[in-house]
Amino acid sequence: MKGKTLRTLFQHALFLCVVLGLWEWGARVGWIDPSFVGSPLGIITFTLENFTNARLWGDLGWTLLAVFSSFVIGSIAAMITGLAFVTWPKLEFFCDPYVSAFNVLPRIALVPLFILWFGLGIGSKIALGVSLTFFIVLSSTVAGIRGVSQDHVTLTRTLGASSRQMFFSVTLPGAIPVLFSGLRLGVIYALLGVVGAEVIASERGLGQQLAYLGSTFNVNGVWSLLFDLALIGVLIMKLMNWIERRLLHWQ
Amino acid sequence: MIDAQRIDLSFDGTNLVLRGVDLQVGAGEFVALAGPSGCGKTTVLNLCAGLVDLPVGQRLRVAGEPPALGSRNVAYMLARDSLFPWLNALDNAAFGLKVRGVPVSEARERAAVMLKRVGLSGAEYQLPKALSQGMRQRVALARTFAMPSPLLLMDEPFGALDAQTKLQLQDLLLQLCQDGNRTVLFVTHDLSEAVALADRVVVMSSRPGRIVADVQVPLQRPRSIRELQTSDDFNHTYAQVWKHLEEGWVHHEG
Repeated sequence: MKGKTLRTLFQHALFLCVVLGLWEWGARVGWIDPSFVGSPLGIITFTLENFTNARLWGDLGWTLLAVFSSFVIGSIAAMITGLAFVTWPKLEFFCDPYVSAFNVLPRIALVPLFILWFGLGIGSKIALGVSLTFFIVLSSTVAGIRGVSQDHVTLTRTLGASSRQMFFSVTLPGAIPVLFSGLRLGVIYALLGVVGAEVIASERGLGQQLAYLGSTFNVNGVWSLLFDLALIGVLIMKLMNWIERRLLHWQ
Repeated sequence: MIDAQRIDLSFDGTNLVLRGVDLQVGAGEFVALAGPSGCGKTTVLNLCAGLVDLPVGQRLRVAGEPPALGSRNVAYMLARDSLFPWLNALDNAAFGLKVRGVPVSEARERAAVMLKRVGLSGAEYQLPKALSQGMRQRVALARTFAMPSPLLLMDEPFGALDAQTKLQLQDLLLQLCQDGNRTVLFVTHDLSEAVALADRVVVMSSRPGRIVADVQVPLQRPRSIRELQTSDDFNHTYAQVWKHLEEGWVHHEG
């Protein structure tokens, strides 16, 4: 197993060396225009310089704060709404056309409205993040609660459980596996929404820096920030996997 | 303990599920309810547990009271083990007690005693995923018997088990029932199980479910499942119940 992992790592390292080497070589001999596609050494240089730049860390903190806020607000609102939908199916039936219409709307199109309402600051970024996270977590909450084992519900009803006991002892733990898959997707969509809104118009944030570097033809800088964003996404997923393993150790 | 008088039940207002069901179960009796699939055995159990509303004007008394969901007089055991996968065996066995307000430490103590009774000491902290089907059903038995309810409603609790595990758990159930003075209404479609466990076997016909026979089982207690297999009384009662069941089918088809 260990040997297989090492072999896989070696294969990836070899692949990246070949691709990056060809790219760098192509840029140096003039086969590729580095002012349009950048060059690996240029990207590495920019990344190392940017790491010592306080602006990067400030923008990173700004973006992460917006992502965290969107995820928390969107998820809590979605879980409360999902619970209300399952408790009162007539409410779900009534709201369904509005929820469906809003869900199919390309949420990025709401950015101009959010900027008008919340300004160029963090508020408009959180609003877009919430609008994306909410619907994903809502559908997984409803599916999770509806998927709770009917045997568990029946058994607990025969014991005379209160609504509170039913929710905390049966519904919530039973819904967590499906709910968590929605939360995992929700956090990635929160990142997408926040960075997307920052790219369009923002005072700060990684998305704003990305837009600025693009508009000044700093292609190496754009690649470097894309790498940073991919790294953030991977780290968020690792964190979610770790939480999931702890929460769902019984699976 | 159970007194049902001429119960008619329909879920949609037109098709009867039960027709004129008369059933009396005395305190301390073990009554098996047998019949073909879909004849309404589980519905009778659900009526007694308060899971199905009793139609207005119908008379059913459970421990002298109208059936009520969550009654402390009743403990219900489902066909599948229905263990909570996120709780260990001990907390699963203590679940009923905890929901009914017994302090957690006391509930766990009582559950641990019951787990020992069902042969699971040492497995208290195992999660259900680590237990075999038979062990899981033992935990479910421990959960049911840990509650001091005088009436146990059991819905084909051994239906999904392999033959050998089933015999072991039937023996265990006989022992548990002998130790405490419980009344049991046991739903099964397995006639040999009904005869082996019960004092009386009540046979139901196909839908709409009617009671077509009430057969007294002339077998002494304590019983052993292994010895019963060669008993003449067992075989005679089995044949008698089988005949009634067949008559129920013929009547239904005719």
